[in-house]
Amino acid sequence: MTQQKKILAAAIAGGLLLVYLTFYTTRETEFALITQFGRPVRTVMNAGLHMKWPFQSILRFDRRLRIYNPRPTEFLTRDKKNLVIENYVAWRIEDPDRFVKSVGDTASAEMRLHDIIWSGLSAALGTLDLESLVSASPGKVQAAAMLDMLTTHADLTALEQYGIHVVDVHVKRLNLPEQNKQSVFARMRAERERIAMQYRAEGEEQALVIRANADREKEEILSAAYKDAEKIRGEGDAAATRIYGQAYSKNPHFYKLVRTLESYKKVLDDKTTIILNSDSALLKVLTQGEAGVK
Amino acid sequence: MSSVLLSTQQAGPSGARPSGDRRSPLPRSRRWALGLLAVWLLSGVFLVAPDQQAVVTTWGAVTSPRVLPGLHYAVPWPVQQVYKLKVQQLRRTVMGGDVADIPLGRLQPAASEFLSGDQNLLNVRVVAQYSVSEPRDYLFQAVDVDRVVGAAVESELARRLAHTAVDNIMTTDKVAIQNDVLLAAQKCLEGYRIGVSISSINIENVAAPPDAAEAFRDVAGARADAIRFVNEAQGYANDLLPRAHGQAAQMEQAAQAYKEGKVNRAMGDVARFDAVAAEYIKAPEVTSTRVYVEAMEQILPQLRKLIVDSSGNLDLSIIGKDDSPGTPSK
Repeated sequence: MTQQKKILAAAIAGGLLLVYLTFYTTRETEFALITQFGRPVRTVMNAGLHMKWPFQSILRFDRRLRIYNPRPTEFLTRDKKNLVIENYVAWRIEDPDRFVKSVGDTASAEMRLHDIIWSGLSAALGTLDLESLVSASPGKVQAAAMLDMLTTHADLTALEQYGIHVVDVHVKRLNLPEQNKQSVFARMRAERERIAMQYRAEGEEQALVIRANADREKEEILSAAYKDAEKIRGEGDAAATRIYGQAYSKNPHFYKLVRTLESYKKVLDDKTTIILNSDSALLKVLTQGEAGVK
Repeated sequence: MSSVLLSTQQAGPSGARPSGDRRSPLPRSRRWALGLLAVWLLSGVFLVAPDQQAVVTTWGAVTSPRVLPGLHYAVPWPVQQVYKLKVQQLRRTVMGGDVADIPLGRLQPAASEFLSGDQNLLNVRVVAQYSVSEPRDYLFQAVDVDRVVGAAVESELARRLAHTAVDNIMTTDKVAIQNDVLLAAQKCLEGYRIGVSISSINIENVAAPPDAAEAFRDVAGARADAIRFVNEAQGYANDLLPRAHGQAAQMEQAAQAYKEGKVNRAMGDVARFDAVAAEYIKAPEVTSTRVYVEAMEQILPQLRKLIVDSSGNLDLSIIGKDDSPGTPSK
């Protein structure tokens, strides 16, 4: 009885151990590499319940997409401009067998990736002018094509050598080296000052146009008014002249007398010295008496 | 399952403790085992809340990629595993930062600096919001989804800003940039198959770096100044022209008045002359003498007068001898 039970228990335990060693599961996030006495025999790419020989062991690799974010690095463009580029690499393990043989872990994989990307990027940037990366006219920017080529190239290399799939290489940030920044800020300030000046000058230009227009309009209004006023005055003068002419021509002799005497009153004053002939009409009576009247 | 439970409960009191082995249908250890089995099986019931979706894996492999809200069952560990996700929830990731944070030391200047197309540096802060579109991919395709989204958005933003002039970034193109970055980043993320969809990209802050901020503010000031200049000129014109119109009207009225005055005066003069002339015609000689003499009476008293005899020659030097005004000499 006890002997039987022991045997039974041992059999069950042995069976469980065998099941444990034979069956294994892989998750969606991982690859499994089956090794036999340290030698990789096959890779299991799909998740689920699998079987192996009990003497084989499993290595698991995270198959998920990773972002590797190297430190910002300074690069030189073809036109000898310095540019600080921060890029990121999206990658995942594609071939666990090759990965484990050549790299082993994530940290060293990122180091290898860094080397590949860095050399690719510096070579690629050496063929581009700064304008191809940074330009206000969209047609000139060639960064996308350059990065696509770099990704393809890095992917080929990394897959062949390390079993890594480089999904994407992107430039995350473009910046200028710290030592250049002060001069960039100075340039930005100068540019802003120029723009500010332009705005003010344009404002003044418009203002001057408006003022000049107003002045001209004023002059037009006033001169037109002057024209009309003088015309009216002329009409007045003409009418007056006509009225005087008509009336005075009826009796020119008397008009001449009255008007001349009138003007004497105005023309002659206390500063005037008049030399009168004793023979004159006024004094004739004075000098000749009664005879002077005739 | 529940029947198993009931039977164990019924078996409990009836075939209970002392020597109930014979009467009970199952031995005690087996009842325990069955009970544990039932509890284990029951633990597979799970609830998916209305804002959630779930993914079920069987032996590690996805078998139900999208379990909708409701009550569901999955075989408990180690066979099946349930991952619940709040798919509707907006997740947020922030790139860059506020300029105000730089002097406070909360932010490295370079962390928010982007290069514009005309090689200006700008401090930009962008918030991306995204939600889960494909729970299965979201759960199993990337190590750190937030980081992937952040990297994709940031790179598309950097690229878009690198071919836009600084003035457009700060003013007119902001919305267009947001849309472009959203589309490009979404396309990029679809390539990665990480099961997210970006719902918004929001440029929360665009500011000039502190070293040039003053100059940027001055541009805004200049724009305001320009508007002020124009307004002032407009004000000048608005002041000037009505006055000119008024002055013109005044001139016209004055001319009109002059004309009227002139005509009326002429008519008055003429009327007076006519009246006098009418009398003159009746006695011309007397009248002319009277008029003449009266005029002389008025004029002569004020004058210096020299009366000379008509026969002799006149020596003009006498005029200068005593010319103090008002003391006429004879």
